Amino acid sequence: MIIVDNKAVEDVLQMIAPYKKVLVAGCYGCVTVCLAGGEKEVGLLASQIRMARQKEGNPIEVLEQTVERQCDKEYLVKFQDNARDVEAIVSLACGIGIQYLAEVYEPVPVFPGVNTQFLGANRDVGKWEEFCMACGECVLDKTGGICPIARCSKSLLNGPCGGSQFGKCEVSKDIDCAWQLIYDRLKSLGQLDKMAEYIPAKNWHRDKGPRKLVKEELTLERD
Amino acid sequence: MGKNENIRLGIYLCDCEGKLVQSIDLNKIKSAIQSSADFEYIRIADLLCGKMEKEKIAHEIEKYSLNRLLIAGCTDPFIERQFTVLAEENGINRYEVEFVDLIKSGKESTKWAVSIISEVLLQMQERSAIVYEDFNVLPEVLVIGCGKEGAAAALAVSEKQPVTVIDHDSPREGINLLNGKRNITVKTGVKVVGLEGFPGQFLVRFLDNGKHVKQSFGAIIVALEAQAVFDKVKYNGVQLGERVLRLSQFRQSDKDQYAGRKVAFVLGQADQDSLLSYAAALTEAIALREKGAEASILYDDMKVSADQLEQDYERARARGVNFLKYNGELQIVTTDVAATVRYREPFLPQSEPIRLVSDCLVLADDYQSNAATEELAAALEVRTGPGGFFQDDNVHFLPVMSNREGIYFVGGCHGPIHGIELNKEVEAVKAEVGRFASGKVRAPLLQPRVTAEQCAVCLTCYRCCPHHAIEIVHDQSLNNMYHSAAHMNALACRRCGTCAAECPGKAIQLPLFSDQEILQQVSKPPKLVAYACENSGALAAEYARSLDPRLQENLQIVSVPCSGKIDALYLLKALERGADGVLLLVCHKENCKYVWGNERADKRKEQVQRRLEEVGLEGDRVEIVHLAANQGNQFNASVRSMVERINQLGANPGKVIK
Ligand code: SF4
Ligand code: SF4
Ligand code: SF4
Ligand code: SF4
Repeated sequence: MIIVDNKAVEDVLQMIAPYKKVLVAGCYGCVTVCLAGGEKEVGLLASQIRMARQKEGNPIEVLEQTVERQCDKEYLVKFQDNARDVEAIVSLACGIGIQYLAEVYEPVPVFPGVNTQFLGANRDVGKWEEFCMACGECVLDKTGGICPIARCSKSLLNGPCGGSQFGKCEVSKDIDCAWQLIYDRLKSLGQLDKMAEYIPAKNWHRDKGPRKLVKEELTLERD
Repeated sequence: MGKNENIRLGIYLCDCEGKLVQSIDLNKIKSAIQSSADFEYIRIADLLCGKMEKEKIAHEIEKYSLNRLLIAGCTDPFIERQFTVLAEENGINRYEVEFVDLIKSGKESTKWAVSIISEVLLQMQERSAIVYEDFNVLPEVLVIGCGKEGAAAALAVSEKQPVTVIDHDSPREGINLLNGKRNITVKTGVKVVGLEGFPGQFLVRFLDNGKHVKQSFGAIIVALEAQAVFDKVKYNGVQLGERVLRLSQFRQSDKDQYAGRKVAFVLGQADQDSLLSYAAALTEAIALREKGAEASILYDDMKVSADQLEQDYERARARGVNFLKYNGELQIVTTDVAATVRYREPFLPQSEPIRLVSDCLVLADDYQSNAATEELAAALEVRTGPGGFFQDDNVHFLPVMSNREGIYFVGGCHGPIHGIELNKEVEAVKAEVGRFASGKVRAPLLQPRVTAEQCAVCLTCYRCCPHHAIEIVHDQSLNNMYHSAAHMNALACRRCGTCAAECPGKAIQLPLFSDQEILQQVSKPPKLVAYACENSGALAAEYARSLDPRLQENLQIVSVPCSGKIDALYLLKALERGADGVLLLVCHKENCKYVWGNERADKRKEQVQRRLEEVGLEGDRVEIVHLAANQGNQFNASVRSMVERINQLGANPGKVIK
């Protein structure tokens, strides 16, 4: 799940300052689940924007709409009537949805209403934790199912570092040391020998540029 | 509008013993309504809340098959409650009864009355009928704990339905009472490790002598007794022995051996909070007298504030038990032949300590929650309260309710004091689980509905429901990408509306309190809007109105079933649409009928204050007030201070004038 947090309303207000009619666009995907960009949040932000602008003596009309996912163009089509009717759009989807929305509705300007944070899990209502950094080459088999890249402050593939103390990370005592967690897990799995296994460094140079995934056997095109 | 065949309305116009006649002509109202509205029955009464009317109305409900009532007269919350009870007794849901107050000050006129009655009638006719459904439920009841308390519950319930009793790692003192009894199965070496499902259809997971097994039950009664613990520090380190016994030990002993001997009980040094040791000492002392022993009870403060205790106390006195009051410290000296207590008489403070010599001294224990409590609470997903006992410290749950429908507490498991009230509790729990005895339960379908298209299956509602009434269901017909949606169980849901206010997709609507129905009431709000919990704020508002009717002229009160239903959006919307301030009127802390609705409301208030400040508006335009139903004066004081605050802040600059 992609976890996002709401942008300061002040920033959003600044982005849309020149406009008199905007759409706040929500997404029923990840951002609804992480309580930041669903229909409810769309309503709350829209209400805030209207009141803020009213107070400035510069009233604005705000439309509200939420679709299934902003990361698929078939769903983005549903915005067409409203998108054509406004001067700008504030999207509460993650960075993916915002970009796709901007691409589909060019030249209508699309602004981010959230800061996309990380890939994580929802521990309980209102509590999220980063679990994965989409490195492209998963090592969870070697680390007892705990990601050293996302959960170790230094993303060490062969930890722990010398700063691990009493199970906590030297960066902050509120952070569990991922390598302590890995050690404890491997121990309970009876796989402590994996601690000695060397994990080679990853190639972080994105020498092929931005990542793309194309599966020829699935695409609709024919050679 | 066409007549809805399913709605059968009864209209009652009450003259309130002539109070209304001067200003309002009920006969004119009656004929005006008769010519314009659809209904089954209409009647003018002299005094609707009088004794004779109860039977008459019941008869009319039956005769005309009425399923909705409109009552117009001099209403107040207490009269309303009286009629809703009457309606429910006669098969009409309380939400199908509407009241119109005909003596709001200043406005009374026949024309006004006709218009307000017609308006309410229209609403009642437009509202779709409440649908009832018969649910299949299992009559089988699980009793957890086979001490004396569990046995008492099991015996009572087994009169009507089958009962399984398990020991769950606790003492088995009640087993002899249960063996061979009809409708009762006793299993030992069995504990509960998990629970799924809903009332009427619980699936319980057991560890049965080391093996995992599961079985279904309609309802569950927890009866793990409180455990007696002895703290010798409270008795200056006295050594227990043949002559000095703990009360819990003494209760197990054979009383015959004390014939002709002297036994003294010491109360008040331990067990400060409960009455359990008082009850036990009284019972044992009476038993001793019957065996021809001499019995004394040393006490510092005789606590008899429970029906059974009061009676036992009188009986003990009548049987010649000595009651000796002491003050301050005790001194206990034991020898091979006797146990002596030295104590001071409160009325003779200057004199030497008095010596009470006996053959055996019995010392009160303390009581603590059963060691299995925490684990069992987790397995059943029910809450614990003070002292680690079961049940919240919340008057709404008394006597036997938990935060989940279908799971109940009896006796010491929810506090030692409840051991004293055992008979009452057993009766209460028998009535509760008795609803399932026939295998069918009829219930109104008033639980919230989920629009699958808007449900992201995020689990927020599931996690926020204080009553574990929500499951995620999967079905091809559910029209979203997951073919799944949250679903509220009609028998488990208590209709607090917390889920609806938390849903990030606005997918949940609570019937009769939908967002539309609530926001309609603030479409053009006055200066001040108060979202008020039905259990506190809304009742206090009624009472407050009788104290100062004018104060509410610029106030819109919007009732919600629980403050947990007050959506952050409702607060912002009221301000956006023109209010200068918003109040949340919620129950006192720890006293929410629905566990944590008021805590959720508190958080939402903070959230909305932050959101207002973010856009340069004053957070102080939103305030929360904790109050009880009877605090009309407090209500008025809060409204006055809010009005004053709003006046200081000036008009809300964020209101969007249409
Ligand atoms: S747009 Fe972003 S938030 Fe919405 S479903 Fe796609 S990935 Fe999730
Ligand atoms: S190793 Fe960590 S960052 Fe890489 S894919 Fe696996 S979980 Fe994600
Ligand atoms: S809170 Fe709303 S979106 Fe989330 S599971 Fe419940 S109904 Fe669905
Ligand atoms: S209304 Fe209350 S009890 Fe019913 S499902 Fe929602 S949160 Fe649970």
